[in-house]
Amino acid sequence: MRMIVHDLQEQEFAGWAEGGQGELTVISDNGTIRQCMGCFGCWTRTPGACVIRDGYNNLGELFSKSDELIIISKCMYGSYSPFVLNVLNRSISYVLPYFVTKNGETHHRNRYDHQFELSVHFYGDDITEAEKDTARSLVAANSLNLYSAGNHVYFHDSLHSIKEAIQ
Amino acid sequence: MNIAMINGSPKPVNSNSGILLKMLEPLIRTGNELTYYNPNKRPLTPAQYSELCRMDVLVIAFPLYVDAIPSHLFRLLATLEEYLKSEQEQEQEEQDIYVYAMINNGFYEGSQNHIALDILKHWCTRTGVHFGQALGQGAGEMLGSLEKVPPGKGPLKNLGKAMHSMAANIQSRSADDSMLFSPNFPRFAWKFAATHSFWNATAKKNGLKRKDILRRL
Repeated sequence: MRMIVHDLQEQEFAGWAEGGQGELTVISDNGTIRQCMGCFGCWTRTPGACVIRDGYNNLGELFSKSDELIIISKCMYGSYSPFVLNVLNRSISYVLPYFVTKNGETHHRNRYDHQFELSVHFYGDDITEAEKDTARSLVAANSLNLYSAGNHVYFHDSLHSIKEAIQ
Repeated sequence: MNIAMINGSPKPVNSNSGILLKMLEPLIRTGNELTYYNPNKRPLTPAQYSELCRMDVLVIAFPLYVDAIPSHLFRLLATLEEYLKSEQEQEQEEQDIYVYAMINNGFYEGSQNHIALDILKHWCTRTGVHFGQALGQGAGEMLGSLEKVPPGKGPLKNLGKAMHSMAANIQSRSADDSMLFSPNFPRFAWKFAATHSFWNATAKKNGLKRKDILRRL
């Protein structure tokens, strides 16, 4: 399964996902997503799923069924946009609360014997080089913590360019 | 000086960011007016955003979330950028605000806070405010169990030293190198305690066993 997480308006994204092969799951902002409460319920109350039942509570499970995770986000200060951050904040059930040490650093243990390719498409018309460097570091760190098979980071100055890249 | 103490934790209560702000308070209280903001409960009001634009110092405490800034705090910062730029247009000059951050992360190594720190620096550059300094505490979830330990002692030795340095910089509104550090506590002992006294113990209170924590959907 391919999974796309994006922060575009519905009319901007309309038609993008048509014509592709295989199963596709699209996570977009329908205005109902609630913020993570830092309760750790997805690890210690309902392991693997978020306790907030707003339709965004199964993100960790969806990650486990994805071969490729594509993120489309406005690049803000070298970070994802608030919606994409919110989705990632709500997806930590994909890993376990327990810790492992990799290359001298602590990380969470993986819950699933699974790996997906992580591709991130940042857009914005005035992203600085320093912000691009930070964004690359952020995706690399996420990739490590999500046990992804690899990560690819792209910067775009138009939505048309992203559409061409993901199709 | 007017100092905003912004708790950027998503937790409604008992946050480690709140603990850090309370530790800092006695070091910067004298001669200053401190105002607390808790955007985790509800978004700030337009009046509160305007207040922030007139502060001398913003102290932002937050946990590292997925190697970055928690989404609700990030949304606040994006909105605050708009308010600050609007005020700058009206006043025809940039606000002379200094920003300090106290980041805590769940992993042992405080060095893992460096990306969130860079994001905050980029926000300051875009927004036209001064980045003062940040401290990044590893193993932040330990803070709740160390409330009786004075900063500067035992596992909080590094934190106390860094906090005193930051408090002095806040008082003089000056910039300095940021400090990212781990607790003064062995990593293997922290890992053991986190596994057994925190994760497994919390799950047990919820009627779950270790095999439940490991389940796959």
